[in-house]
Amino acid sequence: MTGVSADGEVRAAEPDLAPPAGRPRTGRPGSGRPRAGRAGTRRPLAGRLGRAGWLRWIWRQLTSMRTALILLFLLAVASVPGSVLPQEGIDPAAVTQYYQAHPALAPILNRLSLFNVFAAPWFAAIYLLLFTSLAGCVLPRAFRLVGSARQKPPRAPTNLARLPASATYATGLTPDAALDSAAGLLARRRFRLHRGDGWVSAEKGYLREAGNLLFHIALLALLFSVGVGGIWGYKANRLLIVGQAFANTPTDLDVFHPGRLVSPTDLQPFSINLLSFRATYVTSGPQLYQPLTYDAGMRYQARPGSPAKFYMLTVNHPLVVDNVSIYLIGHGYAPIFKVTDGAGKVAWDGPVPFIPVQQMTLTSEGVVKVPDAQPYQLGFAGVFLPSAVDQNGQLQSAFPAPLSPRVSLVAFKGNLGMNSGQPQSVYTLDTKGLKQLPITPRPLSAGQTEKLPGGAGSITYLGYQQWVSLAITYDPGQLPALISGIVALAGLILSFLIRRRRVFVRAAAGPDGGTTVSLGGLARSDAAGGFENEFAELTRLLRAEHDGRAMQARQVADGTADAPEDADDRERGKPSTRPASPVAVAAAATAITAEGDTETAAATVAATTTAAAAAKTATVAETATTTAAAAAANPEMLAGPEEE
Amino acid sequence: MPVNTTLADTSNGLLLSTVILYALAMLCYASDFAFARHRVLAGVAGAAAPDLAAADLAAAGLAAAPELVTAGAGGRSAPAKRAAANGSLRANAALSANGALPADAGPLSNGARPSVAAVGPAAGPAGDAPASRWPSGFWLRLGFGLTCTGAVLHLLAILTRGLSEGRVPWGNMYEFIGAFTCMAVLVLIAASVWYRAYYMGLFVLLPVVFALGIALTVIYTPAGSLVPALQSYWIAIHVTAMIVAIGLFIFGAVVTTLYLLADRSQRRLAAGQSSWSAGIWEHLPVPAILDRLSYRSVLFGFPVWTFGVMAGAIWADHAWGRYWGWDPKETWSFITWVVYAMFLHARATAGWRGRRAGWIHLAAFSCLMFNVIGVNLWITGLHSYAGMS
Ligand code: HEM
Repeated sequence: MTGVSADGEVRAAEPDLAPPAGRPRTGRPGSGRPRAGRAGTRRPLAGRLGRAGWLRWIWRQLTSMRTALILLFLLAVASVPGSVLPQEGIDPAAVTQYYQAHPALAPILNRLSLFNVFAAPWFAAIYLLLFTSLAGCVLPRAFRLVGSARQKPPRAPTNLARLPASATYATGLTPDAALDSAAGLLARRRFRLHRGDGWVSAEKGYLREAGNLLFHIALLALLFSVGVGGIWGYKANRLLIVGQAFANTPTDLDVFHPGRLVSPTDLQPFSINLLSFRATYVTSGPQLYQPLTYDAGMRYQARPGSPAKFYMLTVNHPLVVDNVSIYLIGHGYAPIFKVTDGAGKVAWDGPVPFIPVQQMTLTSEGVVKVPDAQPYQLGFAGVFLPSAVDQNGQLQSAFPAPLSPRVSLVAFKGNLGMNSGQPQSVYTLDTKGLKQLPITPRPLSAGQTEKLPGGAGSITYLGYQQWVSLAITYDPGQLPALISGIVALAGLILSFLIRRRRVFVRAAAGPDGGTTVSLGGLARSDAAGGFENEFAELTRLLRAEHDGRAMQARQVADGTADAPEDADDRERGKPSTRPASPVAVAAAATAITAEGDTETAAATVAATTTAAAAAKTATVAETATTTAAAAAANPEMLAGPEEE
Repeated sequence: MPVNTTLADTSNGLLLSTVILYALAMLCYASDFAFARHRVLAGVAGAAAPDLAAADLAAAGLAAAPELVTAGAGGRSAPAKRAAANGSLRANAALSANGALPADAGPLSNGARPSVAAVGPAAGPAGDAPASRWPSGFWLRLGFGLTCTGAVLHLLAILTRGLSEGRVPWGNMYEFIGAFTCMAVLVLIAASVWYRAYYMGLFVLLPVVFALGIALTVIYTPAGSLVPALQSYWIAIHVTAMIVAIGLFIFGAVVTTLYLLADRSQRRLAAGQSSWSAGIWEHLPVPAILDRLSYRSVLFGFPVWTFGVMAGAIWADHAWGRYWGWDPKETWSFITWVVYAMFLHARATAGWRGRRAGWIHLAAFSCLMFNVIGVNLWITGLHSYAGMS
């Protein structure tokens, strides 16, 4: 390989760009092979301090680019099961189903945290390693960037023709005058300059590195923000029937997932009263059934005693109270029942939320549990059909809106098992201690009563109410996460748009009394390419300026207005120091083909020849020619300066 | 908002015409491969623009042709010899000199951008055709013309669809495919003109025609309104970003595939083996340029994708109450993003550039395609409203 250091600096091309003494270049050890310079000086130390040496070695491995690649790969692979297997955090019911479908496999998968991939220890291990690697790789770069922004650009290398881009031409100016005007030109273009004896070096584009750093650091910040949300935030769900109210306390919430450091008293004390809910649907055409709007009218109080306000909650427009957001995430029907027990007492009177089992038509299922009924406890399993139609003797719902709502029930009596101490779902009936009552299921419409046999009582379907399910989230990491994201994006764009590049100019007196100006340039990380264009443009400008000054100088010296034609011609038309003869071209081709880089060889051959023919007039061609020749001398250079 | 069925039907007709035009364009590109090899040389001459230094070089390259052949043969370079024998080396040189060559591919990169290439102080002997950046030769011109016409109809199809529905027309899979294929074609056209690599059309249109064909038949969804979760201005922001990114990524993936194949072919030739496909690559930029081109499309696409994912997260926060929930779609966007980031890192790591990076690029694109197609079809999640039941 070329001697390009870990962070993409071309070393072979800038042999005298060694880092300042006492300030080791802390580039990433890239491919992980020992790097001669440092290993040499460090080995005795490592030998004495075995443990420290090992730690340093591990740290270097961890912060290498190859490790970053592997960890990125692992992170991608580790995410896959999370999208394929049901996840606890997303759909616990699907996990339960999976257990039933694969009783042997499921416990094993559970052991491996595969039902909770994104909270699994091994997943955390991967991203923590990745972020350690990132910090270890990026932070030293940040310090170096600050350092290098204060330093002057490095000295110009002796042989500029060895750089990826180079050009040479002659001028009538003295070397000093030529360098003065070069320095002026580069300074006008906001390069940072360093001037020495016979050379100027210039550098530009620090913002690229800054962008890259910003991006990576913002990623770290993003991770921290997510962590903050997980520690001090909470998530909750609440199913609310129209007419009901609830307060934001753990006991009043159906599901409550507090962050690690959230105590119940930390919850913002708002309360919400659901006043109304309305859904509209497409009533004809190919999109029949598709919901159009959901509107939940609610009255809320930020805290007990504060004024009540009205809010129309819709999807995509959450209600925000005290930095807590309340979202509308679901809706359904709650048929209202009145159950009279065998003793003639009303044992239940109210709505019971049913869960949609078919989203399109909102056919819903639910259970009614009446533990207070005498002499037997009563249980009912029912189906609610918002728009019941009879299709070939089968009762179905034809539409999600309640056009002809019906309920069909199956009744049980016996022991509901609610005193066994085991938590029970309110949406399923445990039929172990129950006996089904022989009633013929029929669709009840509002007001109809089903008498239960054996003096067990009766149930009346009174009508329906609607419910909504609300998600309640408090995430103090949200704003930091957003800011991190924006900063990351800005850093990314910055680092993609800007390239860091150096330009060197040398001017030396030639044997014929003229001055030979040579330019060399390299882009340190030429991500998007295009440096050659900039270099050619710089070369052209500088040359034009030199030509202009030379002409002025001559005019002053000669006292004439007309510059001698031939002198001008000689300057302008002077072929580059390395004319591309067919022999040189052949040599270039051979040299590169020997490297196995055949397509470059083809391009170079063609290009060099082409350039040779055009060299008479075009500066660009000269640049091309010299570069091609340089490439022949050092074929690896074509690999570009990004490479390690 | 009721759907305007007349406009919706117009849109369908336009999209169908678009597919037909694209298919015809592909035929033309293929014909050019088949019939117009002799014309490659003429194309070089035609490409010499008076105002472009790069074009001068191309013209000069023609003049230097005899030398070139000598050089190639004298260099004992197998591909050079072979190529010189059928004049293809000049084809390569011409393509590159004509601006197909961005920076690190070789010294002629000044032609990469005509605007900058025009820095040559004086134009050489004027070439005859000022329209040098346009394709030359009957088949190529026809193919490119059809591509452009197709793209116009494509845009109109999207526009009429949107007007018929009174919303941005990316609410389901059918509309989504129509949109990102359009973006891919626009990228193709821009890259064709910019890099003057018109033959790329054949390869980029292939997946486009295929995807549109599927969209129009299997997953066609009639115009309609959106479910409440999609009724947000974020759809215009988030989905548009995704469409732009996917269009760029499609182009990048096709170019990477070409790069890997061309590179393989060249290595075979270099090793003295035969390569049946060598004739194809002569028409395309050299592998180094293909590599660079695909990298550039990712450089554009990746920030857009990043933005799209972020916009999606903000939208998810508005609609579902959390900005990131590892929903399958989100998970696969993340995977896609990580693998594209891997590609970018690989490009900056020794021993990983070139072919290895190319494979990572294709892996990243596979993740993207799985996200666009596989997740919609096989995995249910909150994003399951692709309009397919
Ligand atoms: C969360 C994990 C990471 C992600 C998503 C990520 C993403 C990216 C992206 C998108 C780029 C291209 C942008 C640019 O060129 O500035 C990039 C560049 C870079 N990354 Fe990372 N990165 C991650 C971790 C790391 C780690 C662990 C390291 C160090 C070992 C690292 C070192 C670099 C370097 C040196 C560059 C600049 C490459 C160049 O010069 O082109 N990154 N990263």
